[in-house]
Parts: sequence; structure tokens; C-alpha cells
Amino acid sequence: MTTAPLLALDAVRIRHVGGERATPDGVTLDIRAGEVVLLLGPSGCGKSTLTLALDGLIPHAIAAELDGTVRVAGVDTRERSVAELSEHVAMVFQDPDAQIVTGSLLDEVAFGPENRLVPASEVLERAERALKLVGLWDRRDDDPDVLSGGGRQRLAIACALALAAPVLVLDEPTANLDPAGIDEVYAVLRELANDGEHAIVLVEHNLDAAVDLVDRVVVLDAAGRLVMDGPVREILQARALELLELGVWLPVSTLAAMRLREAGVPIEPLPLTPSELARALDAVEMLPAPTPEPARVAAPDDPPLGGAASEAGPASDGRGPSAITVRGCSVRRGGRRGPIVVDGIDLDVASGDFLAIVGTNGAGKTTLLQAIAGVIPAPRGSVDVLGMDPSRADARERSRRIGFVFQNPEHQFVAHTVADELALGLRVQGAADDDIEGEVDRMLRRFDLESHREQHPFLLSGGQKRRLSVGTALIAGAPVLALDEPTFGQDRARASELLAILRRLNAEGTTVLIVTHDLQLVADTATRVAVMQEGRLLGVGPTAEVLAGPLIEAAGLRHPPLARATRSLARHPDWHAVTRMSQLPLPDRTVA
Amino acid sequence: MSTGAGAPAAGLAPTRGLPPRRGQATSRGGCLRSLDPVAKLVAPLPVMVALVFTRGTTVPLVFVGLALALLLAGGRLPARIALALVVATPVGVALLGFTLGLWVDPARVEESAAASVTLLELGDWRYSLGAYLLGLATSLRLAALLLLSLIVGLTTTGPELVRALVQHLRVPYRVGYTALAALRFVPRFGHELEIIRAAHRVRGSDRGHGPVAAARRSLSYAIPLLASAIRHAERVALAMDARAFGAHPTRTERTLSPWRPRDTAFVVVFWAASVAVFAWAIPSGLA
Repeated sequence: MTTAPLLALDAVRIRHVGGERATPDGVTLDIRAGEVVLLLGPSGCGKSTLTLALDGLIPHAIAAELDGTVRVAGVDTRERSVAELSEHVAMVFQDPDAQIVTGSLLDEVAFGPENRLVPASEVLERAERALKLVGLWDRRDDDPDVLSGGGRQRLAIACALALAAPVLVLDEPTANLDPAGIDEVYAVLRELANDGEHAIVLVEHNLDAAVDLVDRVVVLDAAGRLVMDGPVREILQARALELLELGVWLPVSTLAAMRLREAGVPIEPLPLTPSELARALDAVEMLPAPTPEPARVAAPDDPPLGGAASEAGPASDGRGPSAITVRGCSVRRGGRRGPIVVDGIDLDVASGDFLAIVGTNGAGKTTLLQAIAGVIPAPRGSVDVLGMDPSRADARERSRRIGFVFQNPEHQFVAHTVADELALGLRVQGAADDDIEGEVDRMLRRFDLESHREQHPFLLSGGQKRRLSVGTALIAGAPVLALDEPTFGQDRARASELLAILRRLNAEGTTVLIVTHDLQLVADTATRVAVMQEGRLLGVGPTAEVLAGPLIEAAGLRHPPLARATRSLARHPDWHAVTRMSQLPLPDRTVA
Repeated sequence: MSTGAGAPAAGLAPTRGLPPRRGQATSRGGCLRSLDPVAKLVAPLPVMVALVFTRGTTVPLVFVGLALALLLAGGRLPARIALALVVATPVGVALLGFTLGLWVDPARVEESAAASVTLLELGDWRYSLGAYLLGLATSLRLAALLLLSLIVGLTTTGPELVRALVQHLRVPYRVGYTALAALRFVPRFGHELEIIRAAHRVRGSDRGHGPVAAARRSLSYAIPLLASAIRHAERVALAMDARAFGAHPTRTERTLSPWRPRDTAFVVVFWAASVAVFAWAIPSGLA
């Protein structure tokens, strides 16, 4: 009885009101002090739902049916209010903005203990301790709005700590953050994990950031059943293939090592972090040569595109005719006297390019993309998209040349059915009704939305909404597609579904421009990368060159996991430029 | 650079939801700032009610002057706001008075001597001094109401007001703090509306002029904005629940707003002065 579990789940099944099946479905597990538990599973398996049951929000605050029991400190959550349970379990949610309720950091951290009637002197003590731990004590009088995303999420962690609960539950705490913010949050979590006072339950799709602080992994399958539960290395290393089959994302280093194994490189055990991968590779005497870069990049899970068709290596400039020309483009935000956020940019995008614009928050990436697409005005003559100045053209002309997809697809929806949504772009063009009908049908088929024809766009699932927004951007025949952070706040499954679509479109000839924070995504999909910092373009070039060069660090970014591993190799200098999965040696095709 | 929920784009940073806290500096400030918000709310309240029933220009004028003097002397206002008050009050009152005067029924002012003084004449229609004075009286009343409410409005932060209301007037803290949390939504929604408008412009769905097209446009902005507002509100509510909001009938008040003798003094003096003004004005026929 000395080490009673802090949390004890017994056959927990949760069905949302109106939901068809229960996810999670029959989860039994104990969580004890000092453990750091990572909860994994394919999207829709009920990970987030399960976290909401840990502090009693289900069944108390959310309409859902809870079977089985969740015991917090030995007591059934049904018999305690959420407020009482907050003494034992504290939550940190995904969206930092949706957790802030007061006007200063100190008030914010004090909010929870105050609600619990903790005496004022102790509230202050707790607030000071929590804010110092996350490194925000000096900013205690600031308005939370002036913090960066990472800062606000650290504040949310401080608020959870101030509740003095022994269990901390974090649901995708870094999904809305840029790489710098992710690092900040994990630095804090690492400290918490090291002090061993808290049990931490973490839902996270960014395994590369999380894996080195986790002790234990719990895996749910698509039906919400608990299928694995064990030490992190036992699960991720020994059962990696099973996890992939379940649709669970693995650390990039692990995926890379699995691919190398297929190619005959002996790597044992599987590495989980870039440094482990580097060590494993340096332990191998001879590595096969990396696969040379095809001009159009195939992703690891795409069928190979046939070597004969591919153009020469990264240095050659055998690119198509120019699609976009930007010359001396400067944009101020908020009118004539606003700050310059895009500063004298020169940029050329060739037809058929897949260009990723990267940079830290505030570097001007989105503004540049919006200026190129005519969403915001740019100086006359500074942008040319297929012979059109997007700031001067009308919507009809613009949508024939460039489609813009906003971060949140809902923002762009204007019609009441999916079919009308698609038809609108053609009506603006003045197309005949028959043509509209045919083209809408084609788009519905292409984006797998046929069965949702008459549905309201807002009632689609997240992935369907995203597909529809891409469809509406392309329906007027635009050969250029611009997307602003298309994978922001999404889980891996949805992100990779979208990327598969973008790669297919690019392979068919669409020029694609994206703004993103995810550099491994950039490494694996983009043909060219533009690096921005403080409104200026630091440089632009083929992906492999940019990722191998100094620009990424100069812009204050971090190399993606695979590049981090290969850059530090001592034994294999020819591998230093390997940054994308497709550069790894191909498997020996003895069977195929 | 993320829009939406993430860190805001440079230059697009949402304005703050609440004014910056004056924190511990409050007591150093002007005398108005160190008064309890409830005192500043209660003191002008009877006058504000009484003003609604006054006629003429004298009484509202006195209170406009009184409120302005209080704000300028004791409010420690930023220079920009002080200047705006001094300039905008007379200009605003004069303009609004003129406009309101246009709507005055000439029959109502026929009796007075001022009705015979013509200020403007256009054919049959004449704008008399009497009409102008009546308009002016109304606009002065509005200005007095506004300035009296600014005595608390410009010298108190939202959290201070909520704290004082909860502590002295027994307003349920659940209402007060929820209102404060909701106030933080406003700049967020403003920012989101900007994005939605840009998104609809790109779709080419914002064509058409005139009120019908404008109404249709507003409706099409409202749907995504509402969807996101509801989602956001739900998330905030869950986060507040998880931090034990509403667990007990009261909550710890870290900052006590004690009701000091000077708060009573302020209210009493303000009321006495108000009574004096009315006591002088009513017999003289000025009210």
C-alpha cells in the first residue's frame, strides 16, 4: 500500500454523446509517481479523450459516457468534482491562447490556487516557484498576450504546477508552436521529469522532441484498445514495425534506421534520437553511398518516379520556365506607417517547383506568401505571377493563376454545400452551368469528396475540410498553389495525407509554395527552400543544399532530425548532406 | 509565422485584451486612481440618473466641467487622452448639439424668446437659436453622462473593477471573472475577422455593392467567426474548469480592496456637491 498509484484506470471506455463507438475502449493502466508516460495511437483512437477523463472533465464537464473506473488517488472520479480532482491532476491543453483568462502572468498562475481557496501568502509562494521554474518570474507583471507561443505554453505549465498536483497531463502541448517554442517547452518538461516529483502523462505526435524524456509508452490501436504498455525502448525499438502498422508515427531517426536496415546496413538496436542514429552510423565501417537527388523529389512512401525521367543533381539549374518573379518587394503591416515585415525580397519560382518558405515566427514568411498571392497588396510591379500583378488583378484573374489556402480552411468557406463551394470559383469566372457541373464532379472525385456533395462544408471532418480548401483553390485552373502553414496544429496522419496530395499535384505539374515550421517535412517534400529572417531573404536554393549549408542556423532555426544526425558523422563525410529520407540508400531489391 | 491560434504575425499582434496593470503603483498615482472603483462608480450614479430628467444647459454644463476637472486633476491620464478630452468634449458637444437641433420640432420652442432668433434660413425652413439650445442641452446631457462614467472608466483597470464589485457589492465572482475572460476574446476575434475577410476576398465572393451585398457578406463572415468563437469558448471553459474555477462560493482574494474613509469621503462630498448644484439650479429655473 506504500506506492498506491496516483492514477488507476480500469476498463475505461468513453463514448461521446452521439458517437458511434467508444474510443478509448477498455483501457486499464496505473500511473505512479515519477513516471513519464507517453500516450500513442493513430488519430481518432481516443488519446485526447482519455486525457480528459484523467481529471474528471469527462464525465463532469463534457457530455460523454464513461464506463469502467478512473481512480485518482484511490477515489473514483465520479464521486469527486473537477475542482477537487484538480488537487491531484493538472492539465495543459494544446492551444495556449485558450488557457489564458487574466491580464498578467502572476494573476494567471494564481488563478487556480485562488479558486481552491489557498491562503493568499501560499498562492504567492506557489506562483513564484512555478514561474521561476518555467523561467517567467521576471515577466510576472506582463500581459500574457505579449509572450511568444512557447512562452504562453510555458505559462500554462506554470499554471498547472501552481495547482500543486502530483500528476501533470499534457495534450499535444507543442502542436501549435514553432521550433523555438517546442524547444522551450521541452526544456521545462525535461526539468520536471528530472526532479521526479511529478507523474507526467503526455500526448504528443512530435516524437523527436519528446522521446528522450519519456520512461514508458502506452499505445492504443485505431479502435481505442490498449495494445502495448511498457518501457520506451522496449516498445519503440522492439515493436517498431507493429507501431508503423498501427499508424503510429515514430521518431525520424528510428524511421531512417529502419530504412537503412532494409538496405542492408546493420543497425542494432534501433536509435530513437538523432545522436543515437549518428552513433549507430559511425559504428558501421562502410555505409552504402546515399541515393543521388532526383530533381523532383519522391517521398519515402511514394512510388519511385523512375530514374530516367529525373533531372540532374541539385547544382544544375534545369528548371522550368519562371512562374513567379518577385523583385524588391517590401510590405508594411497595418498601413503606411506600420512596421516593415517583408523587406526588399527578390525571389524566382520556376514552374513545377515545390518551394518551402521557412523562418522563425515573425520572419515575414506568411506576409511574403500573401503578397505573392495578392491576399495583401504589394508595391506595383514588385510581384509577377504568370504575367499578372496579383495586387492589381481582380479575383477572377487571380484565381486562374494562383490559389491560396489559408491556415484554417473554415475561414475560406462561403457556400452552404460542398458542391457550391467548388462551383463558386467557376461562377466567378463566368463559366457555363454545364461546364461547372462537370468540373465540380471531377474535383469531388479527385479529392475524394463525392459522398459529401450536399453537405455543409463546416460539417466535414478536418481532413475533408482541408481537401476541399485545396480543391476550391485549384478549381479555376490555377497552376500555382500557395499554402500557409497547412499542417499547423494537425496530427501526423492528417498532415501526411495533405502532403501526399501536394506531392501528387506537384508531380502533375502544379507549382506549390508552402510556409511551414516543420523542417523534416520541408526536407522530405520541397524541391527548393527559401530561408527568411526579419523580413529579409537569407537565401534560396535546392533543398539539400540549403539544409546542408549554414542558412538554417543563420536564420535561428534548427536542422531537422535526420540532418542533425548526418551532420555530426565523423566516419562518413559523404553523408553530411543527407537530410531527406529519399536520400537514404534504397533497399536491396532482391525480391522485387 | 502563424496566424490563427499561434503566435501572432509581426505587426498583426492583437491589441491587449485588458489595459496593462498598474499593479502596486496604484497608490502612488493621482487621487482618483487610489480610490476604490466602487466609490467612483457609486458617487456619480445619482447625478447620472437625475441628469436624465433635467432640461436646459446649465446643470449638465456644470457636471461636464466638474467631471473634466476631476479627471484632469486627479486621474493622472496620459497626455494624449487628457488632450483628447479637453478638445473633443467642446467640439463634440457643439457638433452633436447642432445636429440634434435640426430634429427639434419648431413648435416646441415657439414660446421661448430664443425662438425668434434665426441662425440659418433655407426657404421656408429656419433654424432658430431655440432649436439649437434644445439640441445643445441634449448633447450636454450626453456628454455629462459619458464624462461621469469615465471617472471610473479611465482610472480603473478591468480586474480592479471586478475585484471591487465582488468584494463590496457581492457580485458573484463567477460572473465577474468570466466577464474578464470573455473580454480577452475581443482582440482575438478582431484579428480573426481580418483573416476571414481576406480569405473571402481571395475567393472572389465579396463582390457586389449596396446594402444587400453588404448584408450577405457580413453573414458569410459571421459563420466561420461564430464557429471558431464557440470552439474557443468551449476550450477556455474547459481550461477554467480544470483549474477549479467555480469550485467554492468564494475565492481567495490576493489583493484586498479595503473600503477606506477617503472612499466614503469622496462619495459624500460628491453627493453633497451634486445636491448643492441642484439646490441652486432648480429654484433658479435652470434645471
